[in-house]
Amino acid sequence: MNQLRIIQLEKKFEDRKKDENPVFSLKPVHLTIKEGEFFSLLGPSGCGKTTLLKLLAGLEQADQGEIWIGETEITNVPPESRNFAMVFQQPLLFPHMNIEDNIAFGLKMKKVKRAERIERAREMLGHVGLKGYGQRFPDELSGGQQQRAALARALVSDPRVLLMDEPFSALDPSLREEMRILLSRIHQEFGTTVVFVTHDREEAFHLSDRIGVMSDGNLLQVAGAKELYEKPASIQVASFLGLKNILKGSAGKFGMENRSQQVELADSRKSSMTHLIIHPEKLQLSTDLEKQSTAEEIIFEGIVKQLRFNHGFYLCTVQTENTLLECSISSRQAETVSIGQKVKLSAQLKGLHFVSR
Amino acid sequence: MLRKIKPYLLLFPAAATIVLLFFGGLFDGFLKSLGYFPAIGETGFSLKAYSSLFHSDAFWDSLIVTIRIAAISSVLSAFLGAIVAVVVFMMHEKSRSGALNLWNRLFQLPLTIPHLVGGYVIVLLFMQSGFLSKILAKVGVIEQIPDFPVLVNDSFGWGIILAYTWKEAPFVALMVYPVLERIHRKWRDVSRVYGAGNWDFIREIVVPAILPAWTVAAFIVFVFTFSAFEVPYLLGVTYPSMLPVYSYQLYSSGTLADRPEALAVNLILALLTVLLGLIAYYFSKRWNVLKGWE
Repeated sequence: MNQLRIIQLEKKFEDRKKDENPVFSLKPVHLTIKEGEFFSLLGPSGCGKTTLLKLLAGLEQADQGEIWIGETEITNVPPESRNFAMVFQQPLLFPHMNIEDNIAFGLKMKKVKRAERIERAREMLGHVGLKGYGQRFPDELSGGQQQRAALARALVSDPRVLLMDEPFSALDPSLREEMRILLSRIHQEFGTTVVFVTHDREEAFHLSDRIGVMSDGNLLQVAGAKELYEKPASIQVASFLGLKNILKGSAGKFGMENRSQQVELADSRKSSMTHLIIHPEKLQLSTDLEKQSTAEEIIFEGIVKQLRFNHGFYLCTVQTENTLLECSISSRQAETVSIGQKVKLSAQLKGLHFVSR
Repeated sequence: MLRKIKPYLLLFPAAATIVLLFFGGLFDGFLKSLGYFPAIGETGFSLKAYSSLFHSDAFWDSLIVTIRIAAISSVLSAFLGAIVAVVVFMMHEKSRSGALNLWNRLFQLPLTIPHLVGGYVIVLLFMQSGFLSKILAKVGVIEQIPDFPVLVNDSFGWGIILAYTWKEAPFVALMVYPVLERIHRKWRDVSRVYGAGNWDFIREIVVPAILPAWTVAAFIVFVFTFSAFEVPYLLGVTYPSMLPVYSYQLYSSGTLADRPEALAVNLILALLTVLLGLIAYYFSKRWNVLKGWE
């Protein structure tokens, strides 16, 4: 198995002018990426995801830790000998080479004969939808086409790992969507291990088998998109994922107190939990004010403050006694609700998610 | 109407001066090279001066020496300049320390020194009784000062070549360096990820990038050394001399009747320069060196 193993990898960047604390440090990262997996590093700008990617590429030297691919340690192997490929934020095609030569660059460095490398470059052009563009120069291609060419350049040399550093962030939204579909198809076709850096949640969720959420140089959580969404390990992760309805409470032996609301915890091990996350789609909106809570559910009472249309459903913001809650409702239900109306929101206890930090 | 021609009117004094002095001088030289020299009573036109030049061994020896010295100086300074520029660029890639800036300034130092002074520096350093021979004799590399090779006022022209290489290499570096600055910092990362070592990067990316500017710089150096006077006059020998010196010798030491020949040499120099320019332009177009960089 050619899995990529990252063992306690660390990197500190010192301020050259001062001998004080490091300007930025990537805290020890321990991670295994399976062969053929599409793994995304998700986090805000400056969280260390690109640093981690550069460490994997060999473009930065780690202070501590090891990188293994299969049974081979590559921590100190220079980037040119790793047989990795990388797609950057900008296409970074060489302007004096035509597209074919740009794509075949890696093969040329591997001393593949010209006829073979041109044939493979042409074949790859077909895969990325640029058939017939081989003789053009980069400045004769649009931004999206250039990024496709950059992707072809990365794939043509059959890399052990494909590293992608926010490759679609410079593209406009429609092109980005198109590129995601293309990348998804190509990943299925080639089965290459991909490490993809992005700050775009939607992009990560759309493409990845697993996602690693990073913040301030820490790898906070690694999980599949569904698990990350439903069970974020911390408030930081939940906040970055844009989760709504995060209620802060005080930890108690029997439950979480959100001032007026008592939420019973089914598991006493969760007694240290201090936050409760209720996903908007797990809240049921009811105009029946007589509705009473049961042992399996929690009920909030409040007033509708806002109704927003959002991709085929509505987001309804309800002001409860102490907090604002958001729930998603269907268009049909939205017709029965108006701003200022008193409503009740209920959620099944088993659908609630508690986090400690 | 006035508004339209105003820029031309404003430019006219400067343009007229340039045209009069440059093209006027050239035209006057051309007329005199054809034997039109009213000062000595010659008002007819003939190709006698050109014919006698082409039949003179001194002219051909001079032309060969000129081409050889100009070519060797251009090639040496072009390579040295390109190497300096690439080294500074690669050093810049790795660190941005103050020491690098110092090196950068040091490499540019010869640019600030006039050619004549540069020529004297070469004389003082490389003549047989010069600074270098004394040092080498002192440390025992050579037994005595006359053992030092003749590098100044030698018939091959090493002194001139040394002076121009030293003086023009920074010029080439200065022409090439801004082009290197256009190389995206991340291209090095890209090339490394795709398996390119330092040499591959220089060969595949840096050289194609600098080639247009480098050929232009080398051509300028060639043309300059081809038609320069003061350094060959100072560091060359009387025979065979470089063409500009030969022209001066004909003009100043001969009779008035030799002047058409002297001016014919200048005209040939100018024609050869234009011809070389056209050749350089043709090849730069043919090689498509600017494709993608524009």
